[in-house]
Amino acid sequence: MTHLPYIAASYGLVLGSVLILSLQAVLRLRSARRRLAMLETTRQRRTAS
Amino acid sequence: MITTTRTGGRRGMTRKTRRLWLVLACVGCLGVATALVLNAFSSNIVFFMAPSQLRDHPPAGDRTVRLGGMVVAGSLARTTEGTTPVNAFEVTDGQAAIPVRFAGILPDLFREGQSVVALGTMQKDGIFRASEVLAKHDETYMPKEVAEALRKSGKWDPRFGKPPSAAEWDTMTRTEARKITAQGSGAPASNGSNGS
Amino acid sequence: MSGDIFLTALPNSAAGSFLHRFANPGRFLRLSRWLLPLLTVVALVALAVGIVWGLWFAPADWQQGDSVRIMYIHVPMAILASSGYLALAVCGVLSLVWRHPLADLAAVEIGPVGAVVTAMCLATGSLWGKPMWGTWWVWDARLTSVLVLFFLYLGHIALIHAFDEPQRGYRAAAVLAIAGAVDLPIIKYSVNWWNTLHQPDSISLTSAPTMSTSMLAPLFICMIGFSAGFGALVVARVDAAILEGRARQLMTRRLPDQERAA
Repeated sequence: MTHLPYIAASYGLVLGSVLILSLQAVLRLRSARRRLAMLETTRQRRTAS
Repeated sequence: MITTTRTGGRRGMTRKTRRLWLVLACVGCLGVATALVLNAFSSNIVFFMAPSQLRDHPPAGDRTVRLGGMVVAGSLARTTEGTTPVNAFEVTDGQAAIPVRFAGILPDLFREGQSVVALGTMQKDGIFRASEVLAKHDETYMPKEVAEALRKSGKWDPRFGKPPSAAEWDTMTRTEARKITAQGSGAPASNGSNGS
Repeated sequence: MSGDIFLTALPNSAAGSFLHRFANPGRFLRLSRWLLPLLTVVALVALAVGIVWGLWFAPADWQQGDSVRIMYIHVPMAILASSGYLALAVCGVLSLVWRHPLADLAAVEIGPVGAVVTAMCLATGSLWGKPMWGTWWVWDARLTSVLVLFFLYLGHIALIHAFDEPQRGYRAAAVLAIAGAVDLPIIKYSVNWWNTLHQPDSISLTSAPTMSTSMLAPLFICMIGFSAGFGALVVARVDAAILEGRARQLMTRRLPDQERAA
C-alpha cells in the first residue's frame, strides 16, 4: 500500500475520536440514568414514610 | 429585538411570526452583505492566476504571485545543478503558455498534463521563477486499470489533460478494463506509453 | 427580559403546537428508545462494511495510488461538518422564533460533535494534501472557509456556556449559529466561484459523478455509516442532557422538602 503512514494516521485519528465520543456518550448516559434512579428511589422512600 | 416584539404583539401568533420575519430579514441582510464583500475581494480570494491572466495583467515589479495551469506535454526538462534538481516546463490554460523554472523536488503527482500551482515571481526575460510547486488534483477518481484501458484504446492520453467524460468509463469494472488493455497491447500500432 | 420566556413558550399557532409536540422531553425519550439502537446498529454495520471495502477491496487511484482511501473518511467528515452546522442554525431559528426548549438542548449537544467532525475533516484533508499536493495546508478559499467553520463551532460552544443564566447563552449562541450559516454556501461553492487548490466536487446533482462506481459505492456506504453515527451520538447526548436536567430538577425540589422536614 502506498502512502501507508498517511492513511493509517487518518483512519486512526477518525476512528479514535469516534471511539472517544461514543464512550463518553455511553458513560454519560449511564451515570445520568443511575443518578436519576437513585434520586427517584429516595424521593419515593420519603413520600412513603 | 425582544422588547419590540413584546410591546408590539397583541397575540402570541403575531409575536412569533414577527420574530420569524425579523430573523429572516437579518439573515437576508447578512447574506447580501457577505455577497458584496466577497465580490469586492474576489481578486484576493483566488488562489492562483491563469497564464493568460498573468500575461494580460502582469504583476508589479517583484511581487510574488501564484501561477496555475496545466503542464504542457513534452515541455518538461529535468537537469541538475550540483545536487539540486532543476526543472523547466511550461504551464498553459489553453490561451497562453508561460515557461517556469523551479529548483527543487517536484511533488509525486507532478507530470505532463497535470494541473499545477507554482509560487514565484515573473522575471523580465518572461520566465516564471518558482520557489514552490504544488500539484493540483482534479475531480477525477479512476482506478489504475481503467486509466490504462482508456490509454491503450486510444481514448485518452493523460499528457494532454483531462480524461473523457465520466459516462464513458465510470461503470467500467477492473476486469473489463484489464480485458481492453490486453486487447490493446495485442494490436500492432499501440502507443505504449509506460510513463506512469 | 427573560421573565416571560416561559409565557411566550406557550403554543398558540398551528406551527407552534406541531413543533411543541416534539419539544416535550418525555416524547423525545420515548422516540429515542427505538431511534438510538436503530442508528447505532446502522452506523456500526455500515462503517464496518464501508471501511473494510474502502481499505481493502476498492481499487487504488491511477495517480493518487492508495492515498485515495483517505477520501472514504474525509468526504463524510466534510459533509457532516456542514450539515451539522446547518442543524445548529435550524436549532437557532427554532429557539429564537418558537422558543423551542429541545432545540436549545440539541444545540448544546450538536456543537462539540460538529467541532470534532470538522477538526477531523481538516486533519484528514491535511494528511491527504501532504503526499498529493506537496503541502499540509494552503490558504485557498475552500480550506480557509472550512477553518472558519471550525472556529464558528468553537465560538458556539463557548458562547452557549458563557452566561450564568442558560437562556441568555442559548439566545446568543442561536444568533451566532444563524449568522454563521452564511459560511455554508461559501464552503459549498468556493471551488466553483474562485480557483482553488482544492479540487471541485466529484459528485453533483446535475451531472454524472466523475468517480468510478467501484469507489463511489464504498464512499456512499461510509457516508451512511458516519451520518448514522453522528445522529446516534447526538441523540444519546440529548437523552443524557434530558435525564441530567430531570435529576437537577429533583434535587432543587428536594431542598425545600428537607428544609420543611428540618
